[in-house]
Amino acid sequence: MQQREEKQLEASLESLLARVAHLKGSLQSFILKLENEHDRVTWPSVLDNFALLSGQLNTINKVLKNEKTPSYRSQVIIPLLLSPDRDEELVKLTEQRVPVFSHEIVPDHLRTKPDPEVEEQEKHLSAEAARIGPEVAQKQIQTLNKLCSNLLEKLNNPRDDRDSETSALRQNKPSFNPADTNALVAAVGFGKGLSKCRPPGPVPPGHPGQPMMSTGPTLQQVTIAGTTGHQAGMGGQVAQQQPGQPGKMPSNIKTNIKSASMHPYNR
Amino acid sequence: MEAPPVTVMPVTGGTINMMEYLLQGSVLDQSLESLLHRLRGLCDNMEPESFSDHELVYLLKGQQGNPFMLRARRSLLHPTAPWHLRYLGQPEVGDKSRHALVRNCVDVAASHSLPEFLNEMGFRMDNEFVAKGQVFRKGVMKVVVSKLLRVLATGNTENTEPLSLSYLVELSVLAPAGQDTVSEDMRSFAEQLKPLVHLEKIDPKRLM
Repeated sequence: MQQREEKQLEASLESLLARVAHLKGSLQSFILKLENEHDRVTWPSVLDNFALLSGQLNTINKVLKNEKTPSYRSQVIIPLLLSPDRDEELVKLTEQRVPVFSHEIVPDHLRTKPDPEVEEQEKHLSAEAARIGPEVAQKQIQTLNKLCSNLLEKLNNPRDDRDSETSALRQNKPSFNPADTNALVAAVGFGKGLSKCRPPGPVPPGHPGQPMMSTGPTLQQVTIAGTTGHQAGMGGQVAQQQPGQPGKMPSNIKTNIKSASMHPYNR
Repeated sequence: MEAPPVTVMPVTGGTINMMEYLLQGSVLDQSLESLLHRLRGLCDNMEPESFSDHELVYLLKGQQGNPFMLRARRSLLHPTAPWHLRYLGQPEVGDKSRHALVRNCVDVAASHSLPEFLNEMGFRMDNEFVAKGQVFRKGVMKVVVSKLLRVLATGNTENTEPLSLSYLVELSVLAPAGQDTVSEDMRSFAEQLKPLVHLEKIDPKRLM
């Protein structure tokens, strides 16, 4: 029984060592690359390196989780002999990093407890977890799972689904306001919203009856019976309209002229 | 020699009754750029024309009936250009299937003494505003995108404030009476401006 456990321990330690060696190698090369070629390094190659490291960490995790691996927590390492002398074997084993197996290196290398700050944080987290209670914790777990699966679904679905959603959202923003349309049309149509202004008093009289329009497009020529002869002789075009009859020029002028009851010069 | 008989119908057959076909809409200030881009693409290829006009609306109140309205417009960008006087009739109540607002339209150019002349004739200025914007053309169709500004002090066009946070968009065609194909063309053009702007036939009497 113990032999089996020992064999298992050895085997798992070996595989763990191998993985860690791989990780160390890739880290080393990455650091070298960053130090020496930092101006030439491109983002995709940096990403590649990170991906490699993450893959290797993953395999280490797998090895540790493997059921054949015995629990390392139950193993204890006790230093049997500490000496301040330089040990050549150790130097060779550790690739010149640990020359002396003395009192200084033992607390660092054989440490099993995490750093004090890390320990504090862990204590906080476990206290927090104990505080909220199992049901709340379960609900939180479920929400997290749901969010992750939603996100995964969105990312995995074909692109055209996403495009139609975003275009629908974009169109929801209105680009015109119907109330504004009505206000503007009313303002142009009959001056709603514009201050009604009455100019102060009539302009001092010029020459009554002398149209001062330049020759523009021809309008309907109207000569008014009953006005003095000099107007009939004018070559200018006059557009005149009797008040109160918009839109029906010829017939109304005829009737009004005949009746001669009013003309525009009344004030 | 007798004076020639007085006639009231036009003697020289020069005038055709021009009708204005009109569709109106508005666009919010923040969407103006997209509308201008779209219009530049859809309309005839020329530099868009900017304008800044001061329009005065004159009313002649008679003893009975509706007051008679004339619109006088002058360009603030070209102060020496002639004034423009326009008469717009009542919208024709025709068949409901007609897609645009149709009304009689008479346009003339006038000299700079137009306001005084109108005052002499008995017209009184009812309101005034400043319109600033751009004009686009597509064949016979004219698209005007303008910002209406209220004049705060009569006659002072420097001191203005916008009437609303939108620009008025008008699609109009001047055509002789009876051409109903025009409104079909206008409607298909208006379709191309959706959903940025909804150009529709708006009856001003409904908004009174």
